[in-house]
Amino acid sequence: MKNKSFEKYFVFTPYFWLVLFFLIPLAIIFKISISVSEWGMPPYQDIFLFDNGIKINTTFENYIYIFSDYYYIGSFVNSLILALISTFFCLFIGFPLAFYIATSNIRLRNILLVLVVIPFWSSFLLRVYAWKIILQNNGILNVILLNLGITSEPLQLLYNQYAVIMGIVYTYLPLMILPLYGYLNKFDLNLIEASKDLGLNRFKTFFKVILPLSVPGIIAGSLLVFIPVVGEFIIPEMLGGSDRLYYGKILWEEFFVNRNWPGASALAFSGIIILVLPIVIFQILYSRWSQKNEI
Amino acid sequence: MDKNFLIIENISKSFGENKVLENINLNISKSEFFGLLGSSGSGKTTLLRILGGFEKPDTGRVILDGVDITNLEPFDRPLNYMFQSYALFPHLNVFNNLAFGIKEHYTQKEIEINVKNIAELLSIEKLLNRRIKQLSGGEQQRVALGRCLIKKPKLLLLDEPLAALDKKLRSKTQLELTTLQKKLKITFVFVTHDQEEAMSLSDRMAIMKNGLILECSSPEEIYENPKSLYTANFIGIANIIEIYKKDANFYSDDLGINFKLNKELKNTKTNILLRPEKIKIQSINNLKKSSFNSFYGEIIEKSYLGSFTRYEIKVNNKIISVLDQNFNSNSNYNFPKGEKVICSWESESIKILED
Repeated sequence: MKNKSFEKYFVFTPYFWLVLFFLIPLAIIFKISISVSEWGMPPYQDIFLFDNGIKINTTFENYIYIFSDYYYIGSFVNSLILALISTFFCLFIGFPLAFYIATSNIRLRNILLVLVVIPFWSSFLLRVYAWKIILQNNGILNVILLNLGITSEPLQLLYNQYAVIMGIVYTYLPLMILPLYGYLNKFDLNLIEASKDLGLNRFKTFFKVILPLSVPGIIAGSLLVFIPVVGEFIIPEMLGGSDRLYYGKILWEEFFVNRNWPGASALAFSGIIILVLPIVIFQILYSRWSQKNEI
Repeated sequence: MDKNFLIIENISKSFGENKVLENINLNISKSEFFGLLGSSGSGKTTLLRILGGFEKPDTGRVILDGVDITNLEPFDRPLNYMFQSYALFPHLNVFNNLAFGIKEHYTQKEIEINVKNIAELLSIEKLLNRRIKQLSGGEQQRVALGRCLIKKPKLLLLDEPLAALDKKLRSKTQLELTTLQKKLKITFVFVTHDQEEAMSLSDRMAIMKNGLILECSSPEEIYENPKSLYTANFIGIANIIEIYKKDANFYSDDLGINFKLNKELKNTKTNILLRPEKIKIQSINNLKKSSFNSFYGEIIEKSYLGSFTRYEIKVNNKIISVLDQNFNSNSNYNFPKGEKVICSWESESIKILED
């Protein structure tokens, strides 16, 4: 009986978590974003001033500033495009892998799953740095290409957007594979055989049966890759060139280089709203739709 | 009637070290309802999956209607497979599940006509807009059947077609399935572990054990004249008694009585089968036991099963099962436990088992 009342509070744990680590920080960011900036520590004024009663000291100038400058909007668009391309490649590579893992026998499956997770055991920074070494002008890849006579001079593999996409796909692939695997694991393989038995070849079976039934797993994996990649800062910084600016890098610079906390907060807050709002709406619509269709 | 409509020739299959099928040969006629009966691990489902094209045999050939289909992919075979789990597509409604296999080849109008016809045949026309999850087990079974039949297959393979249904629905569906098969004249091959199901559905059936076919015949023939000890025990209730030649007659040490056979025996020692309904059970007081094919016993167990009663009768140390019909003029049907009785049988009821 005692447990019952305990359970009641236990239910609120995720909400507690959400409030403590998402809503409160978000509120703080919002507060800073509408503050007036100044030179000092912290580099912004309080929003409430207490000389001669209470005076509210807020401004939306930071928002007007970032939305009127293409520098910020453009970098956000760059990040969205980067996230879209990377998510697509992760899905393209991750889906067959996840499907193969999910349908292989239990021993092989466990080995493959460990292989997918192993990169997480080493530092993220080191792994990205390793790519830098592989791709640099006198790196392993260029040495091999030169020795095989495929190129006569070292290729510029580093410091461009291709290197960035490659690095992101490499880093985020497990985040695509694991939720997809979790979903495909429950896939009834008889459905594939039934489809073939009814006359559909492998290609058609994939598009008529496997893909439609994997939609929830694809959505989960894609969101898990897409959202963090939009804010990704380290990989474009280390592998990318100066030709393209990304949202995460701009944010970093605004905070730590320009010490413009209100401006950076406005940028961060806008980014979260622009990203999260459509996803929340989409999730609500999708769950309604799938409930109606009982998938 | 084409006796060689489906030819299964020297089929063998191993999974690693494990031999699942060994040199299987079967000829199945056109429009035949053929059952593969065996316990789990007998290889029956593997054989069905080889016919469906989901497994490739290590050796041998499968010939359907004169065409060697051994190396064809499932989607190129003119046959269909009904899965034990039904494997209906959860993302499609009943209409689209039924139309799944014909969508590519027909126009929208033709699809609608075909689906309507098959839905009428299986009386599921009211379910066409339903989702699969909204269907009962029996309805799902019909949709799975309809999804195959709409393709007008030459051969329909059914994996445990009735196993997922509850008992009452099962006997109803059994009857419907045989009626449907006779009406459509499609060759059906099905797999089951349930001997009653096999007996009631099959025109002919094969008993499988450890990757081998032990016997292949009509249900009557297999029940009445099984060749092997395994089949005799597997199908129905069996009293197996070992007898040997003693002087002019045969003698059983277990029962301590003489047997008179109406057939010559090759070996001097053999197992015989005595089905429980062939044994006559009588009260001891108004009769004397004959010198052969008869024994005195004591009823140690009795179960009243409505239309008949099953007695377990102890004689020496052996227990013999007897089924006695409960018709009203039969004054014997109410033997109490502990009663001493005489059991007897005709010579022709004794079946000699070959191994």
